[in-house]
Amino acid sequence: MVIPETEIWSALRRVTDPEMPISIVDLGLVYGVRAHGSAVEVDMTFTAIACPAMDMLIDDVRECLVELPGVRAVKVNVVWNPPWTKSRLTAQGRDLLQSFGIAV
Amino acid sequence: MLPQEKDQELRQKIANGFVVESEDDMTPSYKKALEVILTVQGDTELVSAPAYYFASKDAPTINSRLAVYAIIQDELGHANIAYRLLEDLGVSKQWLMYGRQPHEFKHPYGFDQPLENWAEMVVANGFFDRAGITLLSDVHKNCSYGPWQRALTKVDREEVLHLRHGESWMKRLAKAGGTAKAALQRAVDWMFPMTLEWFGLPDARKKHQDQLEYKLKGLTNDQLRQVWMSATVPLCEGIGIKVPAHFDQAKNEYLIDYEFPVQYDINEKRWLFDQPITWDEVFVRWKARGPMNVTYISMIQGDKQGLFGGLNW
Repeated sequence: MVIPETEIWSALRRVTDPEMPISIVDLGLVYGVRAHGSAVEVDMTFTAIACPAMDMLIDDVRECLVELPGVRAVKVNVVWNPPWTKSRLTAQGRDLLQSFGIAV
Repeated sequence: MLPQEKDQELRQKIANGFVVESEDDMTPSYKKALEVILTVQGDTELVSAPAYYFASKDAPTINSRLAVYAIIQDELGHANIAYRLLEDLGVSKQWLMYGRQPHEFKHPYGFDQPLENWAEMVVANGFFDRAGITLLSDVHKNCSYGPWQRALTKVDREEVLHLRHGESWMKRLAKAGGTAKAALQRAVDWMFPMTLEWFGLPDARKKHQDQLEYKLKGLTNDQLRQVWMSATVPLCEGIGIKVPAHFDQAKNEYLIDYEFPVQYDINEKRWLFDQPITWDEVFVRWKARGPMNVTYISMIQGDKQGLFGGLNW
């Protein structure tokens, strides 16, 4: 069984920033997803190399993907290149951050 | 109008939903009660910084140490919010920071204790920050003082991160088993009863209800203790960590499994569950302050002669 990439993306939409209800997809942190058989691989970055929520977010990504039917292994690759900038925010992410009073 | 009548009138207005916005709306007694509760909040946030800083040195990875630094920076910001609100009431922030002796700070006794390993650090996030969020989300929901109520939106959001950090690490240490789980149990053993005491006198013993009547808070001490236990007891039970409390189906509430409060052995960091004491004795212990009181406050105030020190405020 092949796990559709769309399902992986929609699962990742449920992983949110620990302080704000904005998903890591809308933040533009997810660079790519791949499925090989029952294994899922995610390339992701963080808004800063000293992001205090790194461990939490990686845990959340693992937890939410391992719950998908057919997934038995999850690999998270932390990627620093290309570096994250606010241009990676989705339109929805930008609106959300603005509604919290954050200038983007 | 007599001062008592004025105060009675304010209490009535607040009961009907009045929001206090400035000093003109206050009576001296309301202002005093507000100053006390804001000072407790500010001091608690402030002193958590040195306590967490020492424990951050035991972080197992760079990332987890960075997470604690982010928490410390949040806590200092929260202290600044409380002190800034006190400035509006005419209390000097410089005096709050540098003008007081260590024993005059009003943070709870739990934050006068040394946090000596990573397990104690993450249980502090899981238990103490949970106590903080329990108290502050109640204020956020119910507080009659508008400026404080509004300022807490940011504070509450950030406290959730601290809690998350604590709880996810508690789960991780429990899952690791062996010495990691033993250290976690050891930390919970002294920190669980420490936080139970934090919420103060049981309702039946409490004579003054000014904070409730002025709606500086919405829930009573016992209710707040219940809210705290309703999160921490299931968390610990779920990861195989023992706590001296349980949920009683018949009474539909959490019950403490010992005669509360009891004697505490400061040197051993151990509660003597077979030695119940009175609340008056608890207050004596609190008043004497805990072992790290002077160290933590000196760290914040710096060298008395130095650039930021006490003599220059």
